[in-house]
Amino acid sequence: MEWSQYILVGFVFGGIFFVAAALALNWAHRHGQLSNLEKGAKTIFDDDEPLGEVTDKFPVKRKKRTPKGM
Amino acid sequence: MSSNPSLIESLNPTADPAVDFRARLGEVDESMRKPAMLFLVSAVFWLLAGSALAMIAAIKSTNPDFLGMTEWLTFGRVRTAHLNAMIFGWGNNVIFAVAPWIMGRLCKARIRHTNILLIAGIFWNIAVTIGIFGILRGDMVGVEWLEMPAYVSPFVIITYALVGVWVVIAFRWRQSEHVYVSQWYILAAFFWLPWLYTIAQAMLIFEPATGVVQSLTNWWFAHNVLGLWLTPIALATAYYLIPKVLGRPIHSYYLSVIGFWALALFYNWAGVHHLIGGPVPAWVISAGTVASVMMVIPVIVTAINHHLTVVGCHKEGWASPTIRFVVFGAINYTVVSLFGSAMALRGVNEVTHFTHYTVGHAHHGVYGFFTMIMFGAVYYMMPRLLFREWRNAFLIKVHWWMCGMGLILMVAALQIGGWFQGLQMNALSEDGTPLYSFIQVVENTKPWLWLRSLSGLMIVVGHFAFAINVFWMVFSPRTQDKVTQPTLLTPTTEEA
Repeated sequence: MEWSQYILVGFVFGGIFFVAAALALNWAHRHGQLSNLEKGAKTIFDDDEPLGEVTDKFPVKRKKRTPKGM
Repeated sequence: MSSNPSLIESLNPTADPAVDFRARLGEVDESMRKPAMLFLVSAVFWLLAGSALAMIAAIKSTNPDFLGMTEWLTFGRVRTAHLNAMIFGWGNNVIFAVAPWIMGRLCKARIRHTNILLIAGIFWNIAVTIGIFGILRGDMVGVEWLEMPAYVSPFVIITYALVGVWVVIAFRWRQSEHVYVSQWYILAAFFWLPWLYTIAQAMLIFEPATGVVQSLTNWWFAHNVLGLWLTPIALATAYYLIPKVLGRPIHSYYLSVIGFWALALFYNWAGVHHLIGGPVPAWVISAGTVASVMMVIPVIVTAINHHLTVVGCHKEGWASPTIRFVVFGAINYTVVSLFGSAMALRGVNEVTHFTHYTVGHAHHGVYGFFTMIMFGAVYYMMPRLLFREWRNAFLIKVHWWMCGMGLILMVAALQIGGWFQGLQMNALSEDGTPLYSFIQVVENTKPWLWLRSLSGLMIVVGHFAFAINVFWMVFSPRTQDKVTQPTLLTPTTEEA
């Protein structure tokens, strides 16, 4: 291919990238994704993994089972 | 809505997501168990295979005769097989486990069509197996990060398409109103990778560009696999797991949005800094250098967020395997990215180019940042997927210390040794002749390469500790499980 064709291919694919980014940004704005952001930060918490609760730690060593009657 | 929607229903653009119902996290985890475990177990196998290849390549760099009589195990093939086993065997398998799982949890909807992921998992591992075999056999393509033979491409394309479609379906049927920053990163990554791969395939394999354009396309692709695939997935994971484990929101959600869009804007341009000093138009290099330095913006923004979220929770963080690995990875993201911006400056690049400094930098990024965060994700995921606890805390600590310290030693050895190597290669006497012969420079790098082999050995020990814990957990009888709160979730809706 000639240089001009490479540049054409580059512009086409570059254009797809930037148009996609612009559309995504526009969608985010229209759907209120860019407003009240601090509230959005808390959406990962729920009843199962609530805000204020640590949800991971090293496993505790299991106690050996003692046979019945001992 | 039927209980098991068909693929046609799920892909119907006019369907209303509101008719579906919300799912609890436990239900999402249970639905994701099979595909995620397929990818995770495959990832661990590839991690071990890639580590073995890495050790062979590391020993060869100080003892070139080691296994030198076997053509399958010559340095060029082994080193390339190591890279592909790690990036595409370990890296992509673990991404295909972690990213859909996070997306599923954040969408808070019932999981659909996990068979798509299962088929993708089979295709992907066939692709990597044939690809690595092809590289060792001598069929590799001479394009860095795209070395797997061209006959593997259909499997790769099918896998990317299947996982991409699954992610889009999950997002399309989400029951959460807000799109969390991790979802932005994951969606973007699953758009960027096929886009990168398509252009690279078109311009490097099917209609190969010649001369300078080939190198430009190669480094644009290779650097963006790191920046627009591994990086967004690792950042998505860190943005999800750090606040989730600590139970506190991210320090500044506003900054996280800026970080995402800044990454999208600047990273795409940065790859050509690999060709500084090459016969490339100066403006192209300048554009790459500017973009590389502009990357300081998303890096600092992300650093503020990740690090300040942890401040004040060090005790809880230290007690969590997930946080240990993820925070270690996040710290490395900050450091390696700032190093990377500095390396894109012409003055610095004159010294570091063609030296082990670059090799150290690559390991710092792909291992210290990406892989460590993925380890953290696995430690959080597996108890939830399998409803089992990790079997041995000591093995987790061995994994963290060996891989963490091994990585620090590796980066230090390669970057300090590489810097001296660069200075010696550039050193000229008064009459303009080289001060050191090439073989002298090579001999002088040997002590640093021995240190690299030692660091590799430490990392291999860590990987074995990790693999033992993973397979111990997978194959242990379920009846032995004793839930250690708060690692595991509360019961699913059905059980409750």
